[in-house]
Amino acid sequence: MAKPVVKKKYTLTERVYLIEIIKGLGLTFKHFVFNVKASFRPGPHTVPTCWQYPEDRREIAPIFRGAHMLMLDEQGRIKCVGCGMCARACPAQCITVKRGKVAEGEESKYAGKTYPEEFVVDLTRCIFCGFCEEACPKGAIVLGPEYELAQYTREECQLTKEGLLANYYKAKEEGKLKPPKKPVPVAAPAKPAAKKAGAAKAAAAKKAAAKKAEAKGAESKKSDAKGAEAKEAEAKKAEKEQKSEG
Amino acid sequence: MNWVIAIIKVVFIWTWCLLWATVMTWAERRGSAMIQDRLGPNRAGPFGLFQPIADGIKLFTKEEFRPKTARKILFNLGPILFAIPAFSAYAVIPFGDKIVIGGKEIILQVADVNIGFLYVVAIGALAVYGIVVGGWGSNNKYSILGGLRSTAQLISYEVPWGLALLAAVFVYGTFDLRQIALEQTGTFLGFLPNWGVFKQPLGFLIFTVAAYAEANRVPFDLPEAESEIVAGYHTEYGGMRLGLYLFGEYVNLYTLSALCVTLYFGAWNLPYIDMSKFLGPISYGIASFIVFWLKVMVFLLSFIWVRWTVPRFRYDQVMRLGWKTLIPLALFNLLITALVIQLTV
Repeated sequence: MAKPVVKKKYTLTERVYLIEIIKGLGLTFKHFVFNVKASFRPGPHTVPTCWQYPEDRREIAPIFRGAHMLMLDEQGRIKCVGCGMCARACPAQCITVKRGKVAEGEESKYAGKTYPEEFVVDLTRCIFCGFCEEACPKGAIVLGPEYELAQYTREECQLTKEGLLANYYKAKEEGKLKPPKKPVPVAAPAKPAAKKAGAAKAAAAKKAAAKKAEAKGAESKKSDAKGAEAKEAEAKKAEKEQKSEG
Repeated sequence: MNWVIAIIKVVFIWTWCLLWATVMTWAERRGSAMIQDRLGPNRAGPFGLFQPIADGIKLFTKEEFRPKTARKILFNLGPILFAIPAFSAYAVIPFGDKIVIGGKEIILQVADVNIGFLYVVAIGALAVYGIVVGGWGSNNKYSILGGLRSTAQLISYEVPWGLALLAAVFVYGTFDLRQIALEQTGTFLGFLPNWGVFKQPLGFLIFTVAAYAEANRVPFDLPEAESEIVAGYHTEYGGMRLGLYLFGEYVNLYTLSALCVTLYFGAWNLPYIDMSKFLGPISYGIASFIVFWLKVMVFLLSFIWVRWTVPRFRYDQVMRLGWKTLIPLALFNLLITALVIQLTV
């Protein structure tokens, strides 16, 4: 049902309207005085609601997703091994990676045994979702802080290896690299834990079966089923926790 | 010799009006920005003060576009018909008292005619032809709607406006604007400045509301209500034709503000101070001019201020306010004024 319209009863001063206008004028005058004062303050960003773009730039968050960077490790070697998982993960299919074997004498340049011969990110297609960053096993591709990406030609929007590295150097110089991620604990295949969980599951199923036998009405059955499901979910949770501990 | 002085006066006040209309376009944009927590145009020159020049260059160099189906003559005539009354209405309004140069007394007013503001009212009413003709000539549904709205609105608000002015005539006993200005010296009831606003408070209120409607300003800018009829009567206009419409509006505002100051705010007279007693003949002329101009500026800026405070009325609300509120009030004001004058004088 639609919400009934309740007409507001106006008081006399509101119906006269002039008094309300004067109140409104007072409000706008407050804003006017505040902003005029603010615009005479020294400094580039004075009126609080306005960033005058080329001069004032908003601070971007550390996890901002701008143009891609190809990361280097502590010894200045390219982390990327050219596995192509980023290209697989990319929903816009904008990454092209060609893997090549590291030639002898070039080990100081690359961290792995293989390296990306070719690494192109098509910024005209990229949607800046960051899936490539999540997919990368080496933490080699990261979306950086760069967001001024306008170009005159489509060719200039193809971010090649040089461009990716240039983005990295620029971000490093400005100190805008993302803080290092905490290493995620890798789950080891813990067989005994799984057995325990299985036993718990079986027990839960047994209990549920016993209750079912006792139950008479359909409703109680339903609730029992629900209970059983909840128990199963609990069991699964326990399993996961054990795994992560292991 | 007299006609040389007349030409100088005409050229001077014309350029003066145009200058302040130009500055008003800047003040409107920056003022509205400050009210709405924005910045406004601040790039061209200091504080963006050269923005009107940039706008003018843009408007002049734009293509003079005319829709294929528009009536050529009417389409071209519209802005001209709007601008001519706007530029000629100021002729009878004073812009200062008088200045004595070389023993010759020069009145700071282009034409001191004894029908005074009847001329202003008549010329102001002509301005609507520009809007209607432009709206009709554009051959566009929004344009014609805007033009028709303008007609209805002007007819409605001409009545209370005229009645408010009539009450002022009762008080001053003359149509002559210079005479009215000269009468507003000294004090009223012993402690108030002898200004029209204290003798005609209700009349002033009605005059102001009707003046906003006459100038097609928010909250009565229905002829160009952009949320309803695109841009109203100037939908099809571009380039300097549009420029004339917009510019004429600001010149109208200057005229209306000057009329308001002359009638209700003591023209060039300062409260409690008689400038002519302690200033030389030339400096008194300049001082009276500056005082008058400052008062006009206050009203011009209040036009901007109100525009960015009050939302636009609905069309039926405008008509209701005009016919059911302002006209009875104006008649009541007329009655009271007549009674008081009959009983006291």
